[in-house]
Amino acid sequence: MKLGVYIHIPFCRRKCLYCDFSSSADEIERYQESYITALSREITGRGGVLSGYTVDSVYFGGGTPTVLQAEALGKILARLSDYTSIEADVEITVEANPDTVDGEKLSALRMSGVNRISFGVQSFTDEVLKAAGRIHSAEGAKSAVWQANASGFDNVSLDLMYGLPKQSAASFRSGLNEALKLPVRHLSVYGLKVEDNTPFGKMAAEGRLVLPEEEEEDAMYQDAVRILPQRGFERYEISNYALPGYESRHNLKYWRYQPYLGLGVAAHSFMHNRRAANTRSLAQYLKLTEQEVLPVVEEERVSEGQAMAEFAFLALRTKAGLRYQDFNHCFGTDFLSHYGPVVETMTAKGAVIADTKGIRLTDRGMKYGNVVFAAFLPE
Amino acid sequence: MNTANIRNFSIIAHIDHGKSTLADRLLEYTGTLSSREMEDQVLDQMELERERGITIKAQSVRLDYKAKDGQMYMLNLIDTPGHVDFTYEVSRSLAACEGALLVVDAAQGIEAQTLANVYLALEHDLEIIPVINKIDLPSADPERVKQEIEDVIGLDTSDAVLASAKTGIGVEEILEAIVRKVPAPKGDANAPLRALIFDSHFDPYKGVIVYVRVMDGVIKPGMKIKMMATDKRFEVNEAGVFRPYLATVDELRPGQVGFFAASIKNVKDTRVGDTVTDGESSVTEPLPGYRKVTPMVYCGLYPVESSEYDTLRDALEKLQLNDASLVFEPETSVALGFGFRCGFLGLLHMDVIQERLEREYNLALITTAPNVIYMVHKTDGEVLRIDNPSHLPTPQEIEHIEEPYVKATIIVPNEFVGSVMELSQEKRGEYQDMKYLDTTRVMLTYHLPLSEIIYDYFDRLKSSTRGYASLDYELIGYKTSQLVKLDILLNGAPVDALSVIVHQDRAQYRGRLLAEKLRGIIPRQMFEIPIQAAIGNKVIARETVRAMRKDVLAKCYGGDITRKRKLLEKQKEGKKRMKQVGNVEVPQEAFMAILKMD
Ligand SMILES: Nc1nc2c(ncn2[C@@H]2O[C@H](COP(=O)(O)OP(=O)(O)OP(=O)(O)O)[C@@H](O)[C@H]2O)c(=O)[nH]1
Ligand code: SF4
Ligand SMILES: [Mg+2]
Repeated sequence: MKLGVYIHIPFCRRKCLYCDFSSSADEIERYQESYITALSREITGRGGVLSGYTVDSVYFGGGTPTVLQAEALGKILARLSDYTSIEADVEITVEANPDTVDGEKLSALRMSGVNRISFGVQSFTDEVLKAAGRIHSAEGAKSAVWQANASGFDNVSLDLMYGLPKQSAASFRSGLNEALKLPVRHLSVYGLKVEDNTPFGKMAAEGRLVLPEEEEEDAMYQDAVRILPQRGFERYEISNYALPGYESRHNLKYWRYQPYLGLGVAAHSFMHNRRAANTRSLAQYLKLTEQEVLPVVEEERVSEGQAMAEFAFLALRTKAGLRYQDFNHCFGTDFLSHYGPVVETMTAKGAVIADTKGIRLTDRGMKYGNVVFAAFLPE
Repeated sequence: MNTANIRNFSIIAHIDHGKSTLADRLLEYTGTLSSREMEDQVLDQMELERERGITIKAQSVRLDYKAKDGQMYMLNLIDTPGHVDFTYEVSRSLAACEGALLVVDAAQGIEAQTLANVYLALEHDLEIIPVINKIDLPSADPERVKQEIEDVIGLDTSDAVLASAKTGIGVEEILEAIVRKVPAPKGDANAPLRALIFDSHFDPYKGVIVYVRVMDGVIKPGMKIKMMATDKRFEVNEAGVFRPYLATVDELRPGQVGFFAASIKNVKDTRVGDTVTDGESSVTEPLPGYRKVTPMVYCGLYPVESSEYDTLRDALEKLQLNDASLVFEPETSVALGFGFRCGFLGLLHMDVIQERLEREYNLALITTAPNVIYMVHKTDGEVLRIDNPSHLPTPQEIEHIEEPYVKATIIVPNEFVGSVMELSQEKRGEYQDMKYLDTTRVMLTYHLPLSEIIYDYFDRLKSSTRGYASLDYELIGYKTSQLVKLDILLNGAPVDALSVIVHQDRAQYRGRLLAEKLRGIIPRQMFEIPIQAAIGNKVIARETVRAMRKDVLAKCYGGDITRKRKLLEKQKEGKKRMKQVGNVEVPQEAFMAILKMD
């Protein structure tokens, strides 16, 4: 059985103003050494589980994994391979902040086996980057991508955002064009969501956060949806675009209801219909692993109804959509007899298309995914 | 107890003149409830009554009173509601009594329901004892009010009791007047049983609890009885009186008011107004029952979840048992599915029933805008009784339409006469009469379309007279009017449950208002929704609900699907109360939008 492994690196140079991912800017120097040790301990602790699988995807996410030395990541990969077999054509991704890499580090990463790099660029307008609290510049992002390419990374991805303060439809569109000039194979395009427990959230509550007007933001979204496919980047998932063959294997696991194991602070796992979450506190994580206790603090057995809904709304995120056959195989029940009325309503609203093989979202459905997804939840 | 020592009386008055508070004092004075059990308006036990501070249901209670003549008397008091919608409730209570306390607020004087209720009491030939209440108020003017009662109603007020239900002044005097003036009931304990059913309610353990006034004979546990209208027979398990909680007694005797239970499981076997006799009775003549009530307004009631249709039907049946004026019939709507067309005595009644259904039976309901009954004369000679606007035939088939008119009585300080006339004119009213009650107060009579009363006449009357006007109305008949059906189209498709019948001259204006209002109520959805108001094929107003903002969760947060699902669950929760109409999700309140305008 194949497994995806997610490894969380909870450190960043500086916190971006919109970010509520588990990462901290203060403690990199002090804790990275012990964190690597702790990760190794967690891998050891999970050795029994790991040995039952072969790993075809490893994803270093964060935070900013590239604040660590390349050797540190290599060490973790090595420890992983002590307990499980890693497939030859494994996809190993590292998320990177343009300002945390140079040619040397990139080569070292490549040497240690990393074959996919995903840069958090967000925007190609310096004013926008600054207003979002990003540490890098547009130029820095471009050179990082070129250097990655030069260091042997064929599979480079960029994250872009729209709806940021100081962003206009025009600047976003020119950013898309900048991105398309770079040697990238994959693009993720996200809308800003203001989360409560972030500086942006606080600013919004105080009425100090100025965001683009609804129409302006909508124009950005429409541009991404229209321009990227024209340039060969297929929208294979609601917010992800790739040249053929460059879809992210790791992300597809989430959407296809396949198992993954999360390691590190705040990492999430999904195996045998159980979802588990590691502690979000670095201190507690270090302490628990030190005591050779698994750092899991939440575990949820997904009920049948919830599982069906999850399966449906995750599959629907992808261009391929949900194939009845996959669902029926997974749950031993007929998709349409279960969700017939929902499919009917959503088809009538022009949000999904159903055929003999399965259903998928229309462009409208992609824009209003949550409305469609919510309809699949049990009462 | 000897029948000669029984007194049955109702307390009647205009809204808020202090009936329930006076009942409190009578209960207290006679020691019926201990001070621990006492609270303000203790007879208003329904949650809605307490919240709104009004009486909705008439309530009986038995008091034992030792009079100054040294004898014990058994007094049965019925506290009645004052609101115009519940006049029927008053008339039923009066049928179980020989006397009535007519309570009039000493500061306000006679109001519209004072008159309506006193005329009912006179119709029943009851002994009326005037009580001038609230004399503790600085603005009280008992002499003026007495004079009004003499002039307007023609009652002798030389014996009127001056009272304050707040402080307790006059309570003993009232009790003595009841004993002295209200005739004892007649009736023969040895004659075959005849008892009038004046109310009932359903108890999950005991079945139907039947409220009766015994005329002849006795009711006691173990005996067989028969309901004359339904010809159903039962064995009495329990008989009792209201204290005000249900207290069992050995038997109910002639002249007494009380209840019995007889394991009656089927709600339909008991009818208010029916006569109870003994199982093998020779009685063939039932007691004069009640005048059948005709509902004034109708609306559709639909469960939000279609699976709750049966629960709704059961709930309506149970409420009907306790409220004979409620009528309902199954109906279907293209937009709303299966539901009921229900008839009510007025808007407050409708509101109360809807709230009771939601609270007591935990139902989520959609209520359509209320309308009156129209008589439609078709070109082919057929006459249709239309209680649902969407059932109106096409204009080509209609010869003319008639709508119900009421005689409205408005009592108002004379400085507001102009405003009332202006408003009544605007509402298509026809002036009938104006009478001075005294130097400062005027009684106006108008004939008005009932539909205007339920639309917003009362609210506007109140606001244009700073709350001073009081209104009573009664149906007088039907009249031809220029009426048209106003349809609403959502996303191009007509929504039957949103159609209303309006006067031709107002159609344009109401159509525009309604479309605008709906734009505010219908939330933005995945696509743009045109809202059109149309008469026949002619669109008279158009509004648009823009498509909603993009709504999709972007990142997977390193595989945290639980968090995603929880966000979606929250989103779904917020949408519970919407009804899917075609492709459009419509919130419940949209169907009442026409009423909540201006
Ligand atoms: N000052 C004063 N207030 C009174 C008196 N009697 C009643 N009230 C007040 O008048 C208001 C209405 O009293 P209720 O007893 O509920 O009146 P009601 O006639 O039963 O009203 P409905 O049942 O709604 O028709 C309450 O706020 C009472 O406290 C009185 O004698 N003096
Ligand atoms: S670099 Fe990424 S993880 Fe770190 S604070 Fe910024 S957005 Fe968050
Ligand atoms: Mg009352």
